[in-house]
Amino acid sequence: MSLNKNNITFYFLLFFCALSVAQEQVENKNDSILIENLDEVIVTATRTIRQLSSLPLPVTLIGKEQLQRTGVTRLNEILNEQTGIIMTPDATTGGGEGVQIQGIASDYILVLIDGVPVVGRSSGNLDLSRFAIGNIKQIEVVKGPSSSLFGSEALGGVINIITEKPTSENITGQVSHRAATFNNQNTNLSLNQRTKEIGYSIFADRLSTDGYDLTPTQDGQTVNPFLNYTFNGRIFFDVSKNINVFASGRYFFQEFDVTPSTSEEKDANAQLRINHNVSKKTNLQYEFYYTNYITDEQVIDPIDDELLIANDFNQKLFRPEIRFNHSFNPNNTLTIGGGYNFENLERSLFAETITFNSQYVFAQYDFKPIEKLNIITGARFDNHSEYNAQLSPKISAKYDISHSFAVKASVGSGFKAPDFRQLYLDFTNATGGGYSVFGKEVETVGIQRLEENGEIATLQVEPSQLGESLNAESSVGYNFGFAYKKGKLSSELNFFRNDFKNLIDTRILAAKTNGQNVFGYINRESVYTQGLELDLKYKLFKTLNLSTGYQLLFAFDKDKENALDNGEVFARDPETLETIRLSRSDYFGLENRSRHTFNFKAFYDIPKWNANANLRITYRSRFGLTDRNGNDLLDDFDNSFVDGYALVNMAFGKTFLKHYSLQLGVNNLLDFKGNNPLAAQDSEVLINPGIQLFTKLNIQF
Amino acid sequence: MKSALKLFSLLFMFVAFIACSDDEDDVPDLVAIEANTASNIPAPQTGGQGEPVGGPFTKFSFETGTTTNSETDWDIAFRGTSIAVNGGSTTGTTDEPERNGNAGAAIENSTFSEVASASGLTFTQDTDGAFAVPAGSDNGWYNYNPATFTITPIPGKILVIRTHDGKYAKIEILSYYRDAPAQPDPMSDESRVYTFKYVYNPNEGETSLVE
Repeated sequence: MSLNKNNITFYFLLFFCALSVAQEQVENKNDSILIENLDEVIVTATRTIRQLSSLPLPVTLIGKEQLQRTGVTRLNEILNEQTGIIMTPDATTGGGEGVQIQGIASDYILVLIDGVPVVGRSSGNLDLSRFAIGNIKQIEVVKGPSSSLFGSEALGGVINIITEKPTSENITGQVSHRAATFNNQNTNLSLNQRTKEIGYSIFADRLSTDGYDLTPTQDGQTVNPFLNYTFNGRIFFDVSKNINVFASGRYFFQEFDVTPSTSEEKDANAQLRINHNVSKKTNLQYEFYYTNYITDEQVIDPIDDELLIANDFNQKLFRPEIRFNHSFNPNNTLTIGGGYNFENLERSLFAETITFNSQYVFAQYDFKPIEKLNIITGARFDNHSEYNAQLSPKISAKYDISHSFAVKASVGSGFKAPDFRQLYLDFTNATGGGYSVFGKEVETVGIQRLEENGEIATLQVEPSQLGESLNAESSVGYNFGFAYKKGKLSSELNFFRNDFKNLIDTRILAAKTNGQNVFGYINRESVYTQGLELDLKYKLFKTLNLSTGYQLLFAFDKDKENALDNGEVFARDPETLETIRLSRSDYFGLENRSRHTFNFKAFYDIPKWNANANLRITYRSRFGLTDRNGNDLLDDFDNSFVDGYALVNMAFGKTFLKHYSLQLGVNNLLDFKGNNPLAAQDSEVLINPGIQLFTKLNIQF
Repeated sequence: MKSALKLFSLLFMFVAFIACSDDEDDVPDLVAIEANTASNIPAPQTGGQGEPVGGPFTKFSFETGTTTNSETDWDIAFRGTSIAVNGGSTTGTTDEPERNGNAGAAIENSTFSEVASASGLTFTQDTDGAFAVPAGSDNGWYNYNPATFTITPIPGKILVIRTHDGKYAKIEILSYYRDAPAQPDPMSDESRVYTFKYVYNPNEGETSLVE
């Protein structure tokens, strides 16, 4: 076992820390952790620094304190505890987890680190457990379409991970180790220092686990043992009074233990930002960003060492961007920006390296026509080498009815460019029966090739339709809400509606002579999600913070609703097996959506003991995984529903001798395991691996 | 005048009524249309999973309501998910039966009972390269769910069949697994075993498909 190795690392770090602590006995206590900002500010909503409570948009802010006290280590864990944000499992076990905001799936949610986008999605889904949260100042989530600022993928919302800036002249930092169930061992170290002109920040994180299994009666594990490292180094440099430079490099490496096969993942980003305050009112930002995401996967037959599948993926993005901000007065700010995306992808399932180029400009005006009214209006234009250009406007407004009561409204549009896979995939599944999938740009050639080989039985589409270009998927989102803040209570109510059109779906292009199909992509589906979100925060005592949140969600496919209204959708009676006609009320809605989600959080401080405790409960109501009766929609007759369940998490922390803090916690206290209805007879597939205990030691220096 | 008209029309109706009943008496007795269920019709195949599909089709006759080994007196035939009709030509796969009848198929999107007649439907026959009941998931009669590995007959797909000798039947496939479990388990339930409900009208030239 690797426990020994861990211990060595741990002792080494312990020693290192002790040394550092010893070195800085003389340090004056300018503690940067406990001083919370006077007011919470965020940058994602406008790309300028804005006070959270003044924004006309639905925004969730997860602060450092919450990150630390909950003892979570990865981004996915903390997001799941926020109102209207849930992590949903894939329908198939072993598949990843995707974030869902306002009922919108992870494919349509943009993830940023310090304002620059993360790439590397697997079938559209971005694995959020890739992101360690050890050096994070806060996580900002803007709900609703934000393509007016961020372009493609920002339909459902934007998650921006903001790393911490060094503030102290002395070397400060922390080292921690967290051990949890499933031999989950997480060690991290951070170092920060800031002098007058220069500052730096170093972060390293190592996570290893034995993984876990949701299928106790089957061979193999659901999550195989893995090991990953994250390194992040950042430099802050004030070149002159008006010019400062920020440079950041991040590297993530992950390896799954699936001997004799191999599975590796690498994610590297480099960011350089030059900030020039031309005058007191005018500011220019030059940003250069490069990212490279690589996966190497080789499936090897354990018996004869034969290579079964090699799946390599190498995506690169280089993006220069310029932003210009001008404040006419403190309440009127104009932002203009533009940039260029150079993107390319090599993938084993593609015939050749694919290159995308896109250029964009955006503008935003944030102003107060009258004192109580704030309006933010903006638009972005994206020109792309492979699909139609997009214009994404957005307008949002907030009106302060009184000091404690405000109304907010926003309308915005979002889009998602067809991805590489939807344009260039050229795949024939040799092991799965020989079906083929072609991206839009290669389908004509692909079908031709199969025809020449005599593999096509019948073409199911008009030949003229082949190769017709694919449009970007797009949405319009509406948010309307109220904010009430008085004394110990702060509350927000938001109604939302998102209308999606041109969603890209697969369709059958042809039937093959082997009885399998050839699939292609087409803009077809139009769906909507609507509902409400309610957030209440209440400071019961100075030491006890309570918060609760609720989301009501309706998510349906409009075309399916029409088909139901026309009486064209049927199901099979489970008893008689006879066909029955379905009506609207039998339609459950989109997969993986719970009608009700709920969370409750209590954070308690015990100053006398220098300790704190918290309890967090999340609940999601019944949801369906997949259609099972062949009518291509989730209805009440599908036996694929997961019953509603609650997860209860707790953590207790105590600080000793100022620098040491020890945390004990339990996630999924009630040991919820659930039951996946798709499990085969006489076998069991769990929804959750069950109770997980953890303990964490953190040394601050 | 008025009463004369009344009388006249009564008379006419009477004559018409007599004529009608005469007519019905003249027609040879129609054989009653019955609803039946064919259970556990095995449809084995060889190959698949990327290999060429082969093996003999299981032929079915509506007249006898059973599978048959006859080279000529069969209407539809099953092999794996493929359904052949005894009309048209072979599609080109190995081991297909020769088509020597005039069978055809039409697929209706409806409930079983609502498909009342075969009149006005367009029947297609097997041709070189394509079955009349299209092959492949979501093309014809079934859906394959890659998440559960299950083949499910698409509810609401009613196959209307013109038999090899020009009679009509409608069928609804209920299951592709032995004993038609409501929730088949692809790992343990035997597949390629058809259970279907059908209504056959044995009367020459009659298109009605209700009992």
